[in-house]
Amino acid sequence: MRHVLEGSQAVAEAVRLARVQVVSAYPITPQTHIVEILSDYCATGKMNAKFLRVESEHSCMAALIGAQSAGVRTFTATSGQGLALMHELLHWAAGARLPIVMAEVNRALAPGWNIWVDQTDTLAQRDTGWIQFYCEDSQEVVDTTLQAYKLAESVNLPVMVVLDAFFLSHTYEPVDVPDQDEADRFLPPYKARFQLDVKNPCSFGPLVPPAVYMEMRHDMAAAMETALTNFAEIEDEYAGIFGRRYGAVEAIACDDAEIVFVTSGTITSTARLVLESLRGRGEKFGILKIKLFRPFPVNEIRAALGKAKKIAVIDRNFSFGASGIFAQEVRAALCNVPIHPAVFGYIAGIGGRDVTPEVLEEIYWKTKNLDSPERESVWIGLQEVRHGN
Amino acid sequence: MEIELTEKEFMHPGHVGCPGCGAAIAMRFVLKALGEKMMMVLPACCWSVIAGPYPTTTLKIPVIHSAFETGGATASGVRAALDMKGDTDTTVVTWAGDGGTFDIGFQALSGAVERNENFIYVCYDNEAYMNTGIQRSSSTPYGAWTTTTPGKDWKKMRKKNIVEALAAHRIPYAATASISHPEDLIRKVQKAKSIKGSRFLHIFASCPTGWKIPSEMAVKIARMAVQTNIFPLYEVEDGLHYTINLKPKRFPVREYFKIQGRFQHLKDEDLDVIQKMVDEDWELLLRKAGEHA
Amino acid sequence: MAQKSQAAANVENPIHIMPTSHLSTEINKTGSWRYLRPRYAEKTAPCSAACPAGEDIGKIEMLTTQGLFKEAWETILRENPFPGVCGRVCFHPCESVCNRSEFDDPIAIHIVERFLADTAERNDLKPLLERLPSRPEKVAIAGAGPSGLAAAWFLSRLGYSCDVFESAPEAGGILHWGIPLYRLPLPALQREITQIEAQGIRIHTGKPVTTDLLTELKSGYQAVYLACGHGKTTELRVPGEALAGVKDGLDFLAGIRKGQTPDCQGTSAVIGGGNTAVDVARSIVRLGGKAVILYRRRRQDMPAFGDEVQMALEEGVELVELVAPAKIESENGSCRVILRKMKVAGEDGTRARVEPDGDKTSEVVVDRLFKATGAEAAEGWYGPPAASSSLLTLSHCALVKKDGGPVTMYGGDVTNDIKSVVHAVASGKQAAMALDTLLREGPDAILPKLTACQVGSGPSLSMEIYMGGERRLRNPHVVAYKEINTDYFRYSARMSQPRLVREERIRSFAEIDLRVSGNIAMRETERCFNCGLCNQCDNCHLFCPDMSVIHDQSAQGRHINYDYCKGCGLCVVECPRNAMTLEEENR
Repeated sequence: MRHVLEGSQAVAEAVRLARVQVVSAYPITPQTHIVEILSDYCATGKMNAKFLRVESEHSCMAALIGAQSAGVRTFTATSGQGLALMHELLHWAAGARLPIVMAEVNRALAPGWNIWVDQTDTLAQRDTGWIQFYCEDSQEVVDTTLQAYKLAESVNLPVMVVLDAFFLSHTYEPVDVPDQDEADRFLPPYKARFQLDVKNPCSFGPLVPPAVYMEMRHDMAAAMETALTNFAEIEDEYAGIFGRRYGAVEAIACDDAEIVFVTSGTITSTARLVLESLRGRGEKFGILKIKLFRPFPVNEIRAALGKAKKIAVIDRNFSFGASGIFAQEVRAALCNVPIHPAVFGYIAGIGGRDVTPEVLEEIYWKTKNLDSPERESVWIGLQEVRHGN
Repeated sequence: MEIELTEKEFMHPGHVGCPGCGAAIAMRFVLKALGEKMMMVLPACCWSVIAGPYPTTTLKIPVIHSAFETGGATASGVRAALDMKGDTDTTVVTWAGDGGTFDIGFQALSGAVERNENFIYVCYDNEAYMNTGIQRSSSTPYGAWTTTTPGKDWKKMRKKNIVEALAAHRIPYAATASISHPEDLIRKVQKAKSIKGSRFLHIFASCPTGWKIPSEMAVKIARMAVQTNIFPLYEVEDGLHYTINLKPKRFPVREYFKIQGRFQHLKDEDLDVIQKMVDEDWELLLRKAGEHA
Repeated sequence: MAQKSQAAANVENPIHIMPTSHLSTEINKTGSWRYLRPRYAEKTAPCSAACPAGEDIGKIEMLTTQGLFKEAWETILRENPFPGVCGRVCFHPCESVCNRSEFDDPIAIHIVERFLADTAERNDLKPLLERLPSRPEKVAIAGAGPSGLAAAWFLSRLGYSCDVFESAPEAGGILHWGIPLYRLPLPALQREITQIEAQGIRIHTGKPVTTDLLTELKSGYQAVYLACGHGKTTELRVPGEALAGVKDGLDFLAGIRKGQTPDCQGTSAVIGGGNTAVDVARSIVRLGGKAVILYRRRRQDMPAFGDEVQMALEEGVELVELVAPAKIESENGSCRVILRKMKVAGEDGTRARVEPDGDKTSEVVVDRLFKATGAEAAEGWYGPPAASSSLLTLSHCALVKKDGGPVTMYGGDVTNDIKSVVHAVASGKQAAMALDTLLREGPDAILPKLTACQVGSGPSLSMEIYMGGERRLRNPHVVAYKEINTDYFRYSARMSQPRLVREERIRSFAEIDLRVSGNIAMRETERCFNCGLCNQCDNCHLFCPDMSVIHDQSAQGRHINYDYCKGCGLCVVECPRNAMTLEEENR
């Protein structure tokens, strides 16, 4: 059934369809709509789930670690500061191999207080062992959230489904929401590989000496790799039922493109408009949308970008002292390919600033007009700010 | 001693608790009192190590180790999951040290008990961060040496009164207990088990290593803490109804302090100050229990 | 290694090394940390060491608390055939060393002992005691007093056939003839004598031991035990002693036991300060007379039991202290007693040393005067001969063994420093052990064997140890008060002995001390520290942080698993009764 939903509600619908049993969250803008809807669903019985109204994001993730360890499907949503507060437990959830799923509405980190979109919060968690998906629209949010459970449970790693603040979380779009029966067909009830069980007592997450810790971490690394192939299979299955598929990356008009933008999140949709316009003017322009950031789909990226002359990575995030994080990753993916295109890094839309088609065109022309990148990162649209005195 | 306890042990020997570990004794009593239908959340504390390194476990019950500050929250999650699975008779217990309870875990504990989560939170109190090597906590008593309150910088602040803090949340049950009084301790665990909602047990668990006492004195010293009113045994129901379980002869605190290495630097006048504090606390408790004008 | 291979195996399968532990920590043998080693080591209670008969008092009290009255009674009988007698008349040195007296009051051990004997009497209990296989040797015993009967009791349990010869028409010696009924009623004594006879011991009464009989016995028996006692009252050695009004205290008491009611009208003086003097005085009161005890020291120096003196005074007996008879004169059918005044001149052990206070005298005129200053053997040869090479002198008896001849042993009052019933029992026991060892292993074995049977550091001996019972496993260390963990005991006052009131007492010879109920006895024995003994309180098991005190089916009921015991010592310190020991680990 098609509904007009905002991104937040799309998340909530998918969580309902996934028959999540324990939800826990702490309010933070701009994630609040998600948990308000889920609270309502739990209260009205639309969902048979327990909602734990914890006193912090840290406790929220701890509660989910407890719940998931006890053998139920769990969910939470957070943003920016909240995710940062969870940091320790993101490592814990992954290390404990718990298939927790979280919706993360990208929000810039303080100070100064800023509730608008910025990917630095989630990208700063890239080494925690969580699988990360960056979504472009509400339909993708519904589909990815359902897939996230299947993927997480197949490899025993947690998954973060990432949405841009407001541009996606608070924007209404028509969305095809699957029926419960179909959703159940795709995602059967949760069966834990291991769980706290009075009949089979054992200890979870004990002290692990050097003789085994490294193997455990290697095992997580292997599971991350497996997630790549599992995701492809899961998408096949999903497409078989629902007819929709996204791919770990989506290469748009890359085959003959000389300049390819690498995008993520809602900027991709804007880039699609720019693509139409530039192609109309005969520019050999393409887009590579990266949906799956962890594990990073290196082979797909190499294949999609191999033929281009120049790559322009648009980063709505920044790693201070280095560069945009997607740009780092793309450079790293390409560097061992003997002949590879030049990678231009652009920083745009930080702290919720709008990335308009004009901004993207500016980036296109900058890239086209230079033979090689003049800097690792070029900040687009900086204004002279007059400080008060 | 008249104690009805199962013969069954819920702990394996071979654990790495120090000789005479009060926390190990406390665990043994609590497990025996609760029986096998229980799950334990174990935030970072001495017991994280005592519980056994991978792939071994000291405890014969399901245990989930958790981050230091998450005892209240993780247990909330476990409880929620069990409830969703229809398992309402398995008792969920958080087993935390004083650091994980009084300090870093206080927020999660306060949050959980404010929600009246249906679990038992046990704080075994050895009055410092023992696992990391005897550092001061807010449970460390006035006068104590620790590795972070060395020399003349011995702790000059009172021990936080955690039971009062919990009682202020108006939880159904909060009580103190000591490894030196197993009868009382076990009765309280069993009473806690029979109550629904958030239950808090504050168990005095001596630490021979950190307190610098001979290991064989571990129980004796805990008993002296009760006998001197340094650690009174009492219960608070619904944050309102106080019951003092034992009214000792009020032995002077001096003896208790004299035999512990951690208090060796204290002078007679310091002990007088401490005696005053102990007397004051006891009077306050009597008033709360309605036994004093 | 186990960890390594498991991890390695799982590298193949990417999602199998979960951080969950299933194996027991038992692979870690923490016993290797130990440098102190706890062990169960039952020790010796001070009461049992102080009891001349070496009764296992701590255990008796423990069994009584548990309601195991028959077992408790049998535990007494292993060391003393006279619980009913000693429960009444013993001076209970056990109570004066009781560790509990440092805490509150000593345990009323003698009342419990009497209670157990009463219980046996009421239920007509028959003891079931260990007995060694019969021996060919026969033993003759001269004197059916407490020492002779005790020797017969123990020898018979050691397998010997015994004949006891007694000059009086009834067995019991001083117990029968010298102790008034209000302290020791006849049935209580008779029951225990009957019980001794029931072992197959033949008591031949009305058979005085003469030199002729002794010669006869020496040919028919392999050993003779002479336990003829001190039956003759010591002379006062003052002028006028032979006057008609001067009477023998022991004869007076015996007369009453024979059914006589001697004339006691008027005032009678009793010379002496021992139990006989007090018994005589109190008997006089019961026969309607007035009694004055004349004693050369002070009340607190009297060898008579303090309680008895106290009751005597309550009953109207008068006590005159620091006077010694110097002369007795007849005056109109009465006796004028000239008394020399004495004064305290220092300490003599626990008693005052006295000497005449110059020439000061006083006098009393009484209707009669009883001598009760002590007793001695009626015949010189009742006691052991002067030291000879074949004589072995022990603490409570002496042995003579001539080549080829039978063994002659001497015991009871004639060898004992303290002339008490329980010392007489001790002497019979020591003689029995010494004889048995002599016959089985030869003379050289006697001393080592007896030493091995000492309760504590002696001289009390245990027949249970001698016969190889569990008590032999006890450490002879006598437990001191500071070794008791008093945290496990609550203050509670000692029970008081219910008694006839004064008015009832002076009317008859009815027993003064009344029976106590099982409840009261159990409550009293519950106070007992059971020093050095395990009463299965289970503290060791309860407090072990390492699950290393394991319950089992052994007599101890538990053992220590040294694979895991870290030697923290908690079990030893938390043992309320000091039944465990912590010692250095020898590795």
